[in-house]
Amino acid sequence: MQIAVSGGKGGTGKSTVAVNLAVALKKLGTELTFADLDVEAPNDHLLLGVELTNEEPVMQFMPRFDYSKCTKCRKCAEVCEEHAIITLKDGTPFLMPNLCSGCRACEIVCPVPGAILEGQRLIGHTYVTPTPYGFTLVTGRLREGEERSMPLVVAAKKKAQAVQKGLLFIDTAAGTGNTVSKAVEFSDLLIAVTEPTPLGIHDTELILELGKLMGMPTWVVINRADLGEKERVYELAKKYGAEVVAEIPYSENIVRSYVEGRPIVLTDYPEAEIFEGLAEKVLKFLGGGE
Amino acid sequence: MQIAIASGKGGVGKSTITASLLYFLKDEYKLVAVDADAEAPNLGLLLGVTEWEEEREHIGAKVARISTESCIRCGICMERCPYDSIYIDDEGNYVVNELTCEGCNVCGLVCPVPGTIALEEARSGVVRKATTKYGFPIISAQLDVGRPESGKLVTEEKEWAKKVMEELNLEHMVVDSAAGIGCQVIASLGGADVAILIAEPTPASLSDVQRAYKVVQHFREPAYLIINKADINPGFTALREWAEREGIPILGEVPYDRAIPESMVMLKPVVEAFPESKAAKALKEIAERIREEIIG
Repeated sequence: MQIAVSGGKGGTGKSTVAVNLAVALKKLGTELTFADLDVEAPNDHLLLGVELTNEEPVMQFMPRFDYSKCTKCRKCAEVCEEHAIITLKDGTPFLMPNLCSGCRACEIVCPVPGAILEGQRLIGHTYVTPTPYGFTLVTGRLREGEERSMPLVVAAKKKAQAVQKGLLFIDTAAGTGNTVSKAVEFSDLLIAVTEPTPLGIHDTELILELGKLMGMPTWVVINRADLGEKERVYELAKKYGAEVVAEIPYSENIVRSYVEGRPIVLTDYPEAEIFEGLAEKVLKFLGGGE
Repeated sequence: MQIAIASGKGGVGKSTITASLLYFLKDEYKLVAVDADAEAPNLGLLLGVTEWEEEREHIGAKVARISTESCIRCGICMERCPYDSIYIDDEGNYVVNELTCEGCNVCGLVCPVPGTIALEEARSGVVRKATTKYGFPIISAQLDVGRPESGKLVTEEKEWAKKVMEELNLEHMVVDSAAGIGCQVIASLGGADVAILIAEPTPASLSDVQRAYKVVQHFREPAYLIINKADINPGFTALREWAEREGIPILGEVPYDRAIPESMVMLKPVVEAFPESKAAKALKEIAERIREEIIG
């Protein structure tokens, strides 16, 4: 089973909801692995109060040309959808590594065996971190300056699947592009976290659209529910056949637990109950847990 | 001059602060605003834009399609797809997931049956232009859900903005970037003269703004910092210490103020909706410093 937490707009509380829900689920006995697939800005370890461990480099293929074998046929440059290979007047190819997506199309079309050699470059890292809450956190972290987050989302998700125990619980990046759809792909449930401001509502519609396109049951959590027009979120959810499952008020207790790296669900604050209730609902959805 | 606003972390107040700064700077300078968050565009909303004067489709994304008729179901495409974007549907057909395809065409190249897999052009979204009620134009974009390459939309936005600057004889471009540090943010920061970073005093925001700053350093641009929700985490000094260590001037600090979400609901910059609020006063001082120290 797989659950993804997303939301469209940045800063709506995706990570807060994801971390607290994961801790609450574990407390109820659900075995899970947590994947932080917000590879451009991964923060769940900070909210869980752990330091990332077990770093592994994510290397990506990049072509190296053996100019003694290259026939300067230009096929590699023609096939590169990223225009990462440029050719001189005589056809000699050169790679611009930052544009290379590592797809290997050049290698596939090159007619001369050995003219394109295996090169590699570092695009980021994955981490596998044990947490004090009884589940493992898998994190993907894109290297600064890299443009493409997709290969790292793929690598981190694979890493998470490789160590997965029980439920795979995913926190995604902000946005609604294909890296978010890659992160949520194959989820049995999508939980969209929103805030009831016009901006939050606008972006929620995009994420609900994504859930619909991917054919996933979708729930909505309204964060900072007292700051805006939550009725509009309910209307939108109804339009997309999504259920609003929780409202979280703006709360200084949540802000404090967030900055202290201590999930609020483990405290006696009243806000803890919201996440416990949500976890029970998820359990019911999963059919009594895995 | 081109000013780019970035933060790494989402939801720390980029668009809110950008809208307010534009409001203060609009009378003195000839500006164009660019909402460079094509996946979650919000700046137009905050500036009260309800209709777009001009909208251009961006046909740039490419998506592979497999013809089930000639497919021999060998599975090589699925094996070789770098992004795991090919799956077998309930009827046993190999299908490309259009919501995750990057358009690299590896499947088409490895397919042994000619003509079975074709790379087709697809719409990736729209780029659009409006004139705000404040008089300055805004360029925005909207990626279609699940599409790749939002960075290319941002590049197109900036090119359009440059044309608008020439036509209308404008001097400055203010670019409100997306969350993260990927293609959209790189396209926003590339070519900027100055980067203004926005962060709140939390470990998560600090971690992300440090990453955004590394991208700024790649471009060798001077950077400034605005601290938003400056009072939500008393005792957290690491953000200010980091800025000092890196020599990043702090343009000002905006306190947490409910006037900000309330102004968002009204679809107005907070400085217009609640000019006497403490957030508005702080933003006014920041605009003053931008005028004196950055634009000149």
